[in-house]
Amino acid sequence: MTIRTARCLQALPRLFFALSLLMGSAVSAQTLAVQPLKVVGTLSSADWEAYRSRFVDSSGRVIDNANGDISHSEGQGYGLLLALAAGDRRSFEQIWSFTFTELLIRDDGLAVWKWDPDGKPHVTDRNNATDGDLLIAYALAKAGTAWQEPRYTAAAQQIAKAIGKNTFSRSGRSMFLLPGAQGFGPDDRTDGPVVNLSYWVFEAFPVLAALAPEYEWTRVWRDGVMLLQQATSGRIRLPADWLSIRNGLQPRPADGFPPEFGYNSLRIPLYLMRAGMTDLEWLRALKLRWSAESEGIAVVNVVTGHVRERLTDEGYAILPAALACVLDGTPVPESMKTFEPKLYYPSTLYLLAKSLLGEKYPRCV
Amino acid sequence: MRLVGSAITIAVAILAFAALAQQTGPDGNQPQAGAPPAPTPPASGSQPQVDESALRYFASQGDTRRVNAEIARLRALYPNWTPPSDLSQLSAGAAAAPDPIIERLWNLYREDRIAEVRAAIAERQSSDPNWQPPEELVTALQTVEARRRLINASDTGQWRTVLSVATESPGLLTCLNVDVLWRVAEAFARTDQPDRTRDVYTYLLTNCADPGERLATLQKALSLLTDQQVTDLLQFERKTGETPDDFSSIRDELARRRVERASLDSKTIAAPEDLAVVERLIQKSDEAGPVLILGWYNFHHGNPSRALELFKTALDRNGGTKAAEGYAMSLRALNRLVEAEAFAHEWRDRAPENMKIYLDVATALLSQDPPPRLDAQVVARIVPVVMVQRFTDGAQALGWYSYNTQQFRTARDWFRTALNWKPDDEPSAYGLALSTQRLNERATFNEVVAQWRSRSQRIADLADGVTRPYDSRIVPAQPPIAAVEPAPVPAQQRYVPQQVAVERTDGERILLRTVEGVRRRQSEARSALGRQCAMTSPATRLSGDAALTRGWCLMEVNRPLEAVAAFDQAMATGGSRTREEAAYGKSLAYLRKNLTSEAAIAAAQAPQTRERRVELGAAILSQRALAAYRDGRYSETLLALSERSRIVPEQNDLLLIRGWSYYKLGRYRDAERIFRAVQQTGYSDDASAGLNAIREATTHAR
Repeated sequence: MTIRTARCLQALPRLFFALSLLMGSAVSAQTLAVQPLKVVGTLSSADWEAYRSRFVDSSGRVIDNANGDISHSEGQGYGLLLALAAGDRRSFEQIWSFTFTELLIRDDGLAVWKWDPDGKPHVTDRNNATDGDLLIAYALAKAGTAWQEPRYTAAAQQIAKAIGKNTFSRSGRSMFLLPGAQGFGPDDRTDGPVVNLSYWVFEAFPVLAALAPEYEWTRVWRDGVMLLQQATSGRIRLPADWLSIRNGLQPRPADGFPPEFGYNSLRIPLYLMRAGMTDLEWLRALKLRWSAESEGIAVVNVVTGHVRERLTDEGYAILPAALACVLDGTPVPESMKTFEPKLYYPSTLYLLAKSLLGEKYPRCV
Repeated sequence: MRLVGSAITIAVAILAFAALAQQTGPDGNQPQAGAPPAPTPPASGSQPQVDESALRYFASQGDTRRVNAEIARLRALYPNWTPPSDLSQLSAGAAAAPDPIIERLWNLYREDRIAEVRAAIAERQSSDPNWQPPEELVTALQTVEARRRLINASDTGQWRTVLSVATESPGLLTCLNVDVLWRVAEAFARTDQPDRTRDVYTYLLTNCADPGERLATLQKALSLLTDQQVTDLLQFERKTGETPDDFSSIRDELARRRVERASLDSKTIAAPEDLAVVERLIQKSDEAGPVLILGWYNFHHGNPSRALELFKTALDRNGGTKAAEGYAMSLRALNRLVEAEAFAHEWRDRAPENMKIYLDVATALLSQDPPPRLDAQVVARIVPVVMVQRFTDGAQALGWYSYNTQQFRTARDWFRTALNWKPDDEPSAYGLALSTQRLNERATFNEVVAQWRSRSQRIADLADGVTRPYDSRIVPAQPPIAAVEPAPVPAQQRYVPQQVAVERTDGERILLRTVEGVRRRQSEARSALGRQCAMTSPATRLSGDAALTRGWCLMEVNRPLEAVAAFDQAMATGGSRTREEAAYGKSLAYLRKNLTSEAAIAAAQAPQTRERRVELGAAILSQRALAAYRDGRYSETLLALSERSRIVPEQNDLLLIRGWSYYKLGRYRDAERIFRAVQQTGYSDDASAGLNAIREATTHAR
């Protein structure tokens, strides 16, 4: 991969996950690269304890209390990552125990995505969710290194290989991440392949590439960024959660899903920030849109621009604050520094943002 | 597939390991001759597979209370287990200070709180990196985790995970975990390795003692293995000892299956003892299943009377559509066709097989030789089913039935219908040729002959006047060319296939386009009912079909208002086809009386075919236009004509009306255009009159 830098604003610690992009109207060449995170020890034990005591049970199950108390591979992955961030080996091991025995049972080595306490069997959908697999593998890989635990590294490697084997998919000249091993490909749907940009956990790519180098992580990472550029180049400048890429890099909202920038896509800017990929012009546009004077953080119809739902939970509110900090160095308002977890998902986003700010932008917090 | 391939070797390894690890029960039963090599039981009767690690730990700590509690727990789990004799030595040697965390870990383990054990170990290790949990505890944890993953994977159909977990944790594969063994056996079957499945069951029957689990093993084998493989496994039945096996229910099931297979194949004879087993199953339960099997066995082995009795029993036992199918087929085999038709008619809509047997029975009923005298309602109910199902053989059979009962027009229509459905149906073409010959319809006859001469010798012979004794039933005794007028047919027996509309204009001025079918229906009805369309019963008591016939008859003798009453009666009492027909007739009757609106209402009273909708709509609009013209409402005339021209082409006579309407409205240029157009098609006199009138009017205006 070549690096052309017109305005090199950052050191380039990694050659591999770097990408030069021609930005739409600005026509200024930029370079993007993943800046590795330390993760471990970046979350206060008070914040983590508030989360853990509310959403993690003694069997190591991370509970989504807004969805009938089910658990899913994504939640287990977040739980592992946050336990690592808080340096809580005990909880990490607990969450891993559940993940390993209850979810990591698929023939292909990926995790089943859905576990219902009222289901019999508990696994009520045996398909995987690739973001969950990425998060679990990434957390295990980071923990294996941080705590010198070969069990974690070995498990991370197995999952990384399974991800590469079963969810990397070629479409035309691009390589994408299928959201699940079944049901999203060109033969599964008339508008397939269908992808979800918020499944690209950008920071995980270089880490997992090191564990499963035989798969094209760089390419999937890069094509994800390109797709994001395409999907945010329209009038509304927001990607729909679910995109049909049957026409290659001309994505359109996938059939059967609301054409919305919704709960899924809220994570895209968070993942970009966490990966240090902050030079994307789109993040600035998003910061403007999300500012209090403007629209604010919301679920938006990407065709009409109509706001369907404004999001007020502090877990969501910290996202614009984090953007302002990362892009302009604006401190996070005092009111957002305290944390009272109510719902699993916004609380998770809150801690992921908090952990990033704690590690890389301590001035803001 | 790579994984499956390796799984075979894995399986062998598993079994070898398990066989070595496993010991037989105290009675030490040996596998019988011919069995695969089984492990040699060691002399000792103890069972090391019982997880005694917690027990040993408590003993080593001198904790008598916990030791006793653990012994009680293990005894409850494993009735044959005896506590190890060396516990006292362990407790005696308990000199070292007990580590409180170890005790806590074992307690959590005993309570199956595995994630918490793991968490506590990790916590301890993070504060003390050199600390290691006891080896026994780690092994115990790994085994429990493997067991959970294996069960979860099997519950979710992840069979390759089941096999890989089993491979990594062979310690699971013992008689203490029969459930795990069953799941592994199923995983082999689901990954197309039935021989490995059999190996697991063999291992289990050779080594594991619980009679309930042994029987359940064979029940599982019944659903996953071939009958031969199950039969082979029966040799492991233990007939002696404290808890002998009773595999008789498995033998019964195998016998039942043999009879079931024979029941579908007339060439396979079931053994008398197998049949006796099924008879016994019938006595023992009130299920329809075994009755049906024996029913079909008798049906396919030349005993329809017995089959009929059995299917009756099966019906009484709620045997449903299969029982009904068998009952109808048995009646048919006994040649009790009238009963068969009546019975099958009741069941025809319940399942496709029931429809099939109904059509089959009905066709057989109609095709009897000599032609039977059938109850009118029987034929009447066969017709709509044949029509809806588009059953060619049925249409053909109706054709022959009509032909053989001297209803040649009806026969002709059925044969034509059959040919529409199946254009290469030679018997129907032959039937059509015969009927048109009898009706002296030379044009149609010649058409059929021209199409079929090269393909059908008997049709060619028919045309050439050669008589050959092909079919004494069908070929009429009289010389074929004789134009014999068919004898009057009882009105109720008439049925008219839908595909009879013929494009032809007849003399009626208003109904510019009449369907030949109507004429035919009228004249047939009249010939059936006589000059006065007499009916013995008053109109209100007539059945739908009879009322319909009367309606057509009254139309024929031009008494349309009385016909309307008859059609109303037909609509009130008839089926959907009768209603459609009657609504059609009623519309025509109103049109005859120039009652245009009433005609339109009548046409809407029952759904009509597209063809008829067009026909009626055009006729109604023609009348509307003419009535408006007569009353001097020329704009309305033009409106009705325009509407009409949207559904059918406008003929010359109506074009002239249109021209004159323009003329009357002073739209001379439009009128001239129309008259000129008509002139060019040959109606020059009428058109010239119009053109002259225009010339005169415009000259005056200047």
